[in-house]
Amino acid sequence: MDATSSSADKLASKTASSNSLDSSSKSSSLGSKHGAENGQQRDTPFVYLDGEEDQDQKNDVTYVCPYRGPVFGALTITNYRLYFRSLPLRDQEPPVVVDVPLGVIARVEKIGGATSRGENSYGIEIFCKDMRNLRFAHKQQNHSRRTVFEKLQANAFPLSYSGKLFAFAHAAAAAQPSTANAAVSAGWDGWAVYEPLAELRRLGVPNDMWRVTKINEFYGICDSYPAVWAVPKAASDDFLRRVAQFRSRCRLPVLSWMNPRTQATITRCSQPLVGVSGKRNADDETYLSYIMEANAQSDKLTIMDARPSANAIANKAKGGGYESEDAYKNVEINFLDIHNIHVMRESLRKVKEACYPTTDDSKWQTAIDSTLWLKHIRCVLAGAVRIVDKVETMSTSVVVHCSDGWDRTAQLTALSMLLLDPHYRTVRGFEVLIEKEWLSFGHKFQQRIGHGDNKHSDADRSPVFLQFIDSVWQVSQQFTNAFEFNEHFLITIVDHLYSCRFGTFLCNTEAERVAEDLKHKTISLWTHINSSLDQYLNPLFPSFTHGAELVLRPIASVRAVRLWRGLYCRWNPGLCTPQHGCQRTRELLSKQDLLFKHVNELRLKLNNRSNNMQTTTRLASPMH
Amino acid sequence: MATGSNDMPDHRKRNTFTSYVAPMAGDVRATADTNEWCLPSDLRDVHLATPRMLSGEQIVASAPAYMYSPIAPMEGSGNSNSSNSSSSTSNSINTSIGNGNGNGNNSSSSSGGANGQRYSRGGHKEATFGLLSVTNFKLAFVPLHGGQSAQSAPLASDLYQGNNFLGRNEVTLNNIDQIYTIAEQGRAASALQAARMAGTSSRRKKLEPAKQHNLNGRIVALHIICKNFRLLKFAFQQQDSKLSGASDYGKLIASALARFAYPMRHDLSFAYSYQEPYYSTLVGVSMYASKNDWARELIRCGATEWQVVSASSVPLLQNRLHASKYTLPPHFVIPKCCEVDRFLQLSLAFCDSRAAFWVYSYGSSAASLVRLAELQPSSQQDTKLENIMLELVRKCDERKQLKLIQLTDQLPSTQDVQRAYHKLRRLCTPETPEKFMLQDDKYLALLEKTNWLLYVSLCLRQASEAAATLRASVTCVLQESNGRDLCCVISSLTQLLLDPHFRTIDGFQSLVQKEWVALEHPFQRRLGHVYVSNSEQAADSEQSPIFLLYLDCVWQLLQQFPDEFEFSQTYLTTLWDACFMPIFDTFQFDSQAQRARAVSEGRLVLRPVWDWGEQFSEKDKMFFTNPLYQRQRGDLAASQNYRRSLAVGGQHKLLSTTGAGGPLATSSPSRYTINPQLFATQSTVPQDRYLQPSHRILDLSVWDQCYYRWLPVLDIRGGGQPQVDLFYRLMLSNIAKAQRCIDLQSFEDLPDAFYEAMGEQRPSQQSLRDQDQRQQEEPVEYVDGVERRRKTDPSAGGGASTANGLNVVNGGPMQLSTLSSFFPFGSPIAGDAPHELYDILSGSTELLLDTSSILDKSSIV
Repeated sequence: MDATSSSADKLASKTASSNSLDSSSKSSSLGSKHGAENGQQRDTPFVYLDGEEDQDQKNDVTYVCPYRGPVFGALTITNYRLYFRSLPLRDQEPPVVVDVPLGVIARVEKIGGATSRGENSYGIEIFCKDMRNLRFAHKQQNHSRRTVFEKLQANAFPLSYSGKLFAFAHAAAAAQPSTANAAVSAGWDGWAVYEPLAELRRLGVPNDMWRVTKINEFYGICDSYPAVWAVPKAASDDFLRRVAQFRSRCRLPVLSWMNPRTQATITRCSQPLVGVSGKRNADDETYLSYIMEANAQSDKLTIMDARPSANAIANKAKGGGYESEDAYKNVEINFLDIHNIHVMRESLRKVKEACYPTTDDSKWQTAIDSTLWLKHIRCVLAGAVRIVDKVETMSTSVVVHCSDGWDRTAQLTALSMLLLDPHYRTVRGFEVLIEKEWLSFGHKFQQRIGHGDNKHSDADRSPVFLQFIDSVWQVSQQFTNAFEFNEHFLITIVDHLYSCRFGTFLCNTEAERVAEDLKHKTISLWTHINSSLDQYLNPLFPSFTHGAELVLRPIASVRAVRLWRGLYCRWNPGLCTPQHGCQRTRELLSKQDLLFKHVNELRLKLNNRSNNMQTTTRLASPMH
Repeated sequence: MATGSNDMPDHRKRNTFTSYVAPMAGDVRATADTNEWCLPSDLRDVHLATPRMLSGEQIVASAPAYMYSPIAPMEGSGNSNSSNSSSSTSNSINTSIGNGNGNGNNSSSSSGGANGQRYSRGGHKEATFGLLSVTNFKLAFVPLHGGQSAQSAPLASDLYQGNNFLGRNEVTLNNIDQIYTIAEQGRAASALQAARMAGTSSRRKKLEPAKQHNLNGRIVALHIICKNFRLLKFAFQQQDSKLSGASDYGKLIASALARFAYPMRHDLSFAYSYQEPYYSTLVGVSMYASKNDWARELIRCGATEWQVVSASSVPLLQNRLHASKYTLPPHFVIPKCCEVDRFLQLSLAFCDSRAAFWVYSYGSSAASLVRLAELQPSSQQDTKLENIMLELVRKCDERKQLKLIQLTDQLPSTQDVQRAYHKLRRLCTPETPEKFMLQDDKYLALLEKTNWLLYVSLCLRQASEAAATLRASVTCVLQESNGRDLCCVISSLTQLLLDPHFRTIDGFQSLVQKEWVALEHPFQRRLGHVYVSNSEQAADSEQSPIFLLYLDCVWQLLQQFPDEFEFSQTYLTTLWDACFMPIFDTFQFDSQAQRARAVSEGRLVLRPVWDWGEQFSEKDKMFFTNPLYQRQRGDLAASQNYRRSLAVGGQHKLLSTTGAGGPLATSSPSRYTINPQLFATQSTVPQDRYLQPSHRILDLSVWDQCYYRWLPVLDIRGGGQPQVDLFYRLMLSNIAKAQRCIDLQSFEDLPDAFYEAMGEQRPSQQSLRDQDQRQQEEPVEYVDGVERRRKTDPSAGGGASTANGLNVVNGGPMQLSTLSSFFPFGSPIAGDAPHELYDILSGSTELLLDTSSILDKSSIV
């Protein structure tokens, strides 16, 4: 179907930190073959995706590579990607290839004017969401820049130019009944990965304390919540409607996870509408006591407010706030000190400054320290560990919220569920986790990423989900054999978070996704991943099934978290470090398998022989 | 005050053990009964808790004290895992201690102390009560347990590292670097509270061993910082001021430590008191204590232009008057083209008389690695002598080429390394959780300020450069002021990069013997085994953990090339600890001459540290091997060749007698050298297994096992490298078991993984019995008196095996789970290293140590 699946084996043996998008372009053999023929239209050296069509093609463009200097070559723009390949050089060097999905582009700018002098001073600069900038130089004479600029604008930001995202064209062109059926029958279909009722059943819901309600089936009560909720049995549907009125954007507490053994739960919501006057709401107070009573293990309920306490207090001025321990009986409130989306965006911008295009080895540590990114990651991890402690060690139910309950709350619930429940550490389970905690509970992907939108300085954009993936990576670094998937899996998710090739991360809420009919009009990222699972698997994982620890408690300290160089620094060829050990693991595993098979054959032979012996002896001695 | 100060001047003069008297058990009881402040009822049993003693060991002082646990995981998260039983017990602990804390009253301390333990608010054990003793060998704390439960904890199934000479709560006096005393606080109600406040208070004072009159005021707590990054904190109970000063336990211990932890002369060290005979079981390590060891190395490297000189057979050095001008090791290798007397004459111009010593040759042209000191300051104007020396070295190179690397310009000084070490250690020994978090906030910036990783990076860079030079068949000369510090680091690293033999355990130990012991790195001064009294600055400038810098570099290599080393990081960490074991002479002396003198005059028993069986049990030694190590075929053949040539000279002897006829006739070897040309002309070092490490700081990391292992707060329970290592060991042991089954044609003892892979139930009776037991245990479970609701497993994990479900806790064939990430260091918790591990260990070690193992024999598809 596409390049990625065809070169799956190659990738599997390669470092997991490679870019999942341009997997084919990295092989130099492909490059040298096609290098000379770049003038022809349909013979460009990348594999076109279904529905991908050329928009523009320029042969005399210079890519100003920050590592190898300016290289001259051909630029192709399709409705999915920007592709540049340098002309073959004399000294057998592999050509420079840039292959960027247009969805990754945050901003396109012209540099230099008609009068600007100097080599490569006239052209286009592209700022990407995945921590790199690209600079192309054009010749002033032939107006090649104008068309490139216009095509880029139109195809990278279709929503600002009344176009449609590539995911729709891709799915429409790929919609051959045979492949779709194959995916469904093979159990790959990504849209079927998450079944809310099945997932709740796995957790033991419904039971005598919790019930499932479809009160929000048409998204009438809360438009950013899923259709199916699990709520305390004691709360009637009418009661739920009243409680919703006291929560910001009607996001009332709903079950995220339950420990089937202790029945301690994690529920999520938004802030209560307390306001400056300190309003109270009897229904909300009762509702929280229902949640507490649904867990017989504890006579307390813990509320984890993800915000710093100062921010929580400041929110009162806007009508929000937090639960006071006076009003709510047996409730303990904790502030987890995680900062808001704007702080995170700024921090990641600094990380980009430190990592791209070049790094200063002697000042590396201070540079990373001053971004505060690792400190923020530590806060998220620490928050999740605190939730795990409450739920697992103290068997206390926890309610998590921040302001609106779709950014920091999603980080915390998803991460703590990942730590608590080994199912979420498998590939399928992790897909479910993202579908459930992030997508169905309305993390605003469209707004936070800005798919196909040219408002690059929009204050609503923020790397909240990226931060979650980073936290997962941190945990996977501390517990190397606790995850079924590897680093490449996480990087692939991040890449397609921006690429707009799949429908998974489009739109803001489940309601919007249903309205857009994404399920039928786009392909799910999980379909893509599940169809070539091998390259995403962690060879160390099998050991975990040997009854290893089921609850993970990562160390939330800057001493124990690291900058994810495989993601943030991957464009710098000098920073790629080959990963050892993986090869040896596969060798040993296959050696073990071979021996086991051999043993099994021998054993069967031996058994057969002894069985024969027994039967013959029995025949020979009729007394028995 | 009274007794202590009276005796003091006397002590300082003689500095002997006998004048110190440990308090009698009776004394303690007397104060306990009369004091208004309630001592734990166990206190009268304190005399029962005596530390285990070695022969020749004496108690100098002992006192009841509280030992603080190091900073623990926040909110008591670490003390329970997911298993049913342990979470219920931890709950009960939490509730029972919640009230006893935080009142800050005199009486409050007794409630917690009733069972000899104290807890912080989170339920974590904060301090343990027991007897603290100073002996002439160690500082020992023996906890006084509430019941037998703690007694039974360190059983055979405890796979954490144990030491035959030291307990878990003991450190050698050699290991103690700094002692801080915390004086009595005005309004501190209890010792514990005072100690808690001490982190921020200004009453924390460094103990200066030279000036003991510093010890005024009551000492309520001691902070002891060890050279191996351990921080020990003790608190002492305050006594009523009407009572005599003898019961100021803090002062008692502090002054004993001040005297015995900082010996002024080396012969006061415990090394001389421990007179147990030593019977060597050591094989495979070249000690470089004889001429033959050097000659063998020359042969192995194919270095034909060099000769071994033994000081004992040089006539000039037999003359006392002349010999005193030199500080030469007993054996060394010099250019063959140079007369020995001429060499000695030249060497006088160099610091520590270290003119060019050969250490290693590489490649078919035998480019050599040479160590050289700088010229004496007096003769620095005249570089003629240095040029002559370098010219002699150049003549030994086949292509008459030479590269001089001046380490002094490129690398930090010993003082720089010491400063970096101090800063790094401060980052690894925070006294309080608050301090820990403060450091954590700016951690990377603070780490950069230590410069430690910068120095590691510089060393790796220089070594890479030297290795590249040798690979280009150019002789490389490393020059450093005295040629005995960073020369050792760079020279050893270069050889590690080039030669796979040195990456085996035997080879690595031989390398340390060659570069560090035989060529005399001043361990005694650098590790601070003897306290230099006259001025503080002198002491600072002498002490410097150059050897740790080297071990850290090796650890970085191990991280970058995890399958190239036979030894594990545990081995390296243990080696650093072993530097402070006076019982072993390897790291105790500045020079061979000093060692020889100690043997003849001080009746010291020499005991090489490499005989690990002296210190460790078999299972501890197993952790020294790296489960990922690949003894590749090329290397295997070479090492076997090498062994053969060691034993009988091999075929090289035959080859060389014909080939080396020419030079034999021209240069007449004098009778005190061994001419390697008699034996070999070809290097047997494989040339395709050199390493090219990255030396960028961003590719380096902090050696967590060595530096963080005393901080449980950084212990990733069930994670980190040990878990991965165990996984590999499990696979290796499975392979070994399966292979054995095939060899014996008997299929009784198959590994569990086999049945899992085949989707079968293990048929053995053992597991049946286990199941029975589990069923008996299961039905009812109480938590805090409330029956726990048990849900039946709701189809755990859609389609996945039951092991992925939430309810499987006790099941499964084995639980590799909750090991410390510093394993086999770190703090064990009950039941975290089950006995099955031992089985896995021995199974895998068998395979790792067997050089002709099936891993190499049969090709892996």
